Amino acid sequence: MTVGGLKHIQVVPEALDLIDIVLSQTQRKTPTVVHPGYAITRIRTFYIRKVRYAQSCFHERLTKILSDFPILEELHPFYADILNVLYDRDHYKLALGQVSRIRSLVDSFARDYVRQLKYADSLYRAKCLKRAALGRMCTTVKHLRPALAYLEQVRQHMARLPSIDPMTRTLLIAGYPNVGKSSFLNCVTNAKVDVQPYAFTTKSLFVGHMDYQYLRWQVIDTPGLLDHALDERNTIEMQSITALAHLQAAILFFVDPSETCGYAIAQQLALLRSLQPLFADKPLFVVCNKTDLGWEQQLDPATWTAIRETAEQVGAELMTASTMGDDGYASVFAVRNRACERLLALRVSLKVSGRQTDSVLNRLHVAEPKLVRTPQIPASVLERRQALRDADDALNQNTAPELACTLSTSRAGRKTERELERDHGGAGVYSMDWRKHYDLTDPAWRYDYIPEIVDGKNIADYVDPEIHQRLLALEQEETMRQSMLSDAVGDEPRADVPVDQPSDTDVALIREKARNQRRLRQQQAARDRTQRPKLSRKALLKVRKTSQAVAKRPWGRAVDPSTTKQQTRKAAHSAPVVYRTRAVSDQSLVPAGLRDVVQARHAQKLVQRTLRRAFSGREHRQGESDRFIGTRKPHHLFAGKMSLGTRSHR
Amino acid sequence: MPQGDYIEEFRRRFGERPDQREKERKRRAREPHKVAVRSKELRGLKAKIFHRERFKEKIRLRKEERALKLKDAVAKKNDTGEDRLKNAIPAYLLDREDSVRAKALTNTIKQKRKEKGGKWDVPLPKVRPLPDDEVFRVIKTGKKAKQKEWKRMVTKVTFVGDGFTRRPPKYERFIRPMALRMRRANVTHPELNVTFSLEILGVKKNPSSPLYSQLGVITRGTIIEVNVSELGLVTTSGRVVWGKYAQVTNQPELDGTINAVMLV
Ligand SMILES: Nc1nc2c(ncn2[C@@H]2O[C@H](COP(=O)(O)OP(=O)(O)OP(=O)(O)O)[C@@H](O)[C@H]2O)c(=O)[nH]1
Ligand SMILES: [Mg+2]
Repeated sequence: MTVGGLKHIQVVPEALDLIDIVLSQTQRKTPTVVHPGYAITRIRTFYIRKVRYAQSCFHERLTKILSDFPILEELHPFYADILNVLYDRDHYKLALGQVSRIRSLVDSFARDYVRQLKYADSLYRAKCLKRAALGRMCTTVKHLRPALAYLEQVRQHMARLPSIDPMTRTLLIAGYPNVGKSSFLNCVTNAKVDVQPYAFTTKSLFVGHMDYQYLRWQVIDTPGLLDHALDERNTIEMQSITALAHLQAAILFFVDPSETCGYAIAQQLALLRSLQPLFADKPLFVVCNKTDLGWEQQLDPATWTAIRETAEQVGAELMTASTMGDDGYASVFAVRNRACERLLALRVSLKVSGRQTDSVLNRLHVAEPKLVRTPQIPASVLERRQALRDADDALNQNTAPELACTLSTSRAGRKTERELERDHGGAGVYSMDWRKHYDLTDPAWRYDYIPEIVDGKNIADYVDPEIHQRLLALEQEETMRQSMLSDAVGDEPRADVPVDQPSDTDVALIREKARNQRRLRQQQAARDRTQRPKLSRKALLKVRKTSQAVAKRPWGRAVDPSTTKQQTRKAAHSAPVVYRTRAVSDQSLVPAGLRDVVQARHAQKLVQRTLRRAFSGREHRQGESDRFIGTRKPHHLFAGKMSLGTRSHR
Repeated sequence: MPQGDYIEEFRRRFGERPDQREKERKRRAREPHKVAVRSKELRGLKAKIFHRERFKEKIRLRKEERALKLKDAVAKKNDTGEDRLKNAIPAYLLDREDSVRAKALTNTIKQKRKEKGGKWDVPLPKVRPLPDDEVFRVIKTGKKAKQKEWKRMVTKVTFVGDGFTRRPPKYERFIRPMALRMRRANVTHPELNVTFSLEILGVKKNPSSPLYSQLGVITRGTIIEVNVSELGLVTTSGRVVWGKYAQVTNQPELDGTINAVMLV
């Protein structure tokens, strides 16, 4: 379980709220209408469902609580101990145990009553049993009131615990109250811990974070400790002890030799000695704080030796600091850096000596080139670089403008934009010329003025890159036509030139065909409108096929071949076809944005295909995305008598 | 104050809003109006619950008020400092002042009534007789209808003793479903006014029919025998009592449990 597990526990409802929630949920989520006239099985299932639903609701909610709250044995020992200190492990376990017990009770009630409901022989009896079942579930859950209230408080407190990662690089600050622990934390991290001139300002663990050597470090401030036996310590002190015992951290033990904290130095050293078992295998520092008060000069040499001896005895490094910032926090950061270095060294050495490193190191191979190749730079380049460097030096020595010019000329004779800017009044005055580098066919066009809008029209809409070819093609066609016309005026129409104008008979034929088609369409529509049974399209095709086959068979019904469809179609094919040449007017049929008729026809086809796909088989019918109004006038809203002002809706 | 207690942290750093007190006062002043609106607009079950709560609240308030007044009156009456100290009663005992006498009276009346009544009076002297067709359901067996309808299923709660052995199912006339068999009853001792969950030893008498008593059918008014050895009752001769009679006061088939009153 991670630290995050402690912080994302769902709210625990009060017992009475839980009952309200479950009962109203049961009311909302199960059917509510039943009549004595129903079949008894139906009545039974109606009530069984209610009982089962209520049970599952209770079960779910209580299970959620049980699974959300961490199991102390599965936590990191630091967190397990902190929770024990803060919330009392026995109380915690009892509360959760009670929840679990009530859950199983609710389950057993439901089982029992569902069994009895199966023998209910009337609606009244079923209803009474349901009522009794829900009542008993609610009563047992009511007994959870103190447990749930306690769990809710624990949840809230847990959510506000500082997120301490027990495995990461950590500095731990400990010491007597009022010696300047919180001040140190405020100096080295961004944390804002309360600093006051009285003891026990800090009453719980505080965390700050900092960077050192591109690594993230965690600094923990603990409440002050007094020198007495473990079983006399209160909850506040026990938090410090827990942190000291379980975190693999560098420990900064703060001591105030000036004794402005209100505790004698002898007491503080006694505490240091009594805590020694907790410091095993951890980098330990004794930090003598508040040097700015000048205790170093006034201090009794005997006291000083006592401090030193005690530090040696517990295997600590002795350092001094002042968190007031008189020395620009140099002493504070010296302490911090020393502690970080030692902890880092320790961690690395632990890692290297660990079991897993061997298997990793075996697989590591650092490749190094055997033969060293230096880069080859031509002598000319080197020379120019040297020249440039000299010029730069000269410029630095006396910043004359003419020298700057020589410098720019030395750079291949081209002025950089930067230099141009400097020459023409500097940044903000000089505006760069973008057009200078436009890549056009004719460089003279670079500064041409191209308006975007002319006469209210966007000229981009009228740009046609192939306009020249088109114009040429049109002109050619025109000349050809003119020559043809002059030929026709000159003599008889030639056979090899296709006829431009259709003859009268052709026109009549085409019109006739169109009329026929229209009539057929109308007939089809009329047939579709009628109510009589219709043939499906597939069946219709089959009928047509057989009629054609009959017409083909020599022994079939005598049919006038000229009237059968195939014949007519054939006739249509063999009729003289009128090909119209591509006329100029054809261009007007092409919608805007398309190249020619062919493309237009293709586009039309594509549109039709998509339409067919989208609506195939259900044109104009209701789809699931349509707005749907089930009942236009719901009976319960429009029926019954109403007097003025009694209606709560609309 | 833990580090994450951002509300307190904020207050510490920036104080409260300047109009906080005013807002709180206004909210308090508005509260009765809101309640009034709610009580008017609620309908159905919600309204029922709401009004019940409100009713309780009002009773509580009235009691408090009365207690205060009483306190004032008492204080006025005997204003000597000593007396006040002597009569100091904890708050939770205050409203019992006048009920004590009433209780004593009712108790004596009850006592008298009890003595007047017959010695073998039971708490529920009269119960509705249960007809057979309510207690038994006909089970149809065999293919030919009428002649074969001789099996019955008991639809009420029954007690089946430990020593009961089933007859071969073919000859079993009365079926007592497992789901409706019960072994424990909640028995109230009328004098001690406490309730125990006790094991049932047997059905002594079902007032509706001796057949029901034989079958162990438990309905309202049935006399059952319960095991009271856990209670440690002793007879006048010094023996431990372990069986006692009790009368069923609820309808077990509707409640799913048996409630009974001990006969003493
Ligand atoms: N002159 C001087 N005063 C200091 C120094 N460090 C802390 N103080 C003062 O000592 C007092 C206590 O400082 P804190 O940082 O609250 O001490 P603490 O150890 O966190 O105290 P508790 O939280 O109560 O255990 C404050 O009034 C600080 O101003 C220091 O280096 N020099
Ligand atoms: Mg502090």
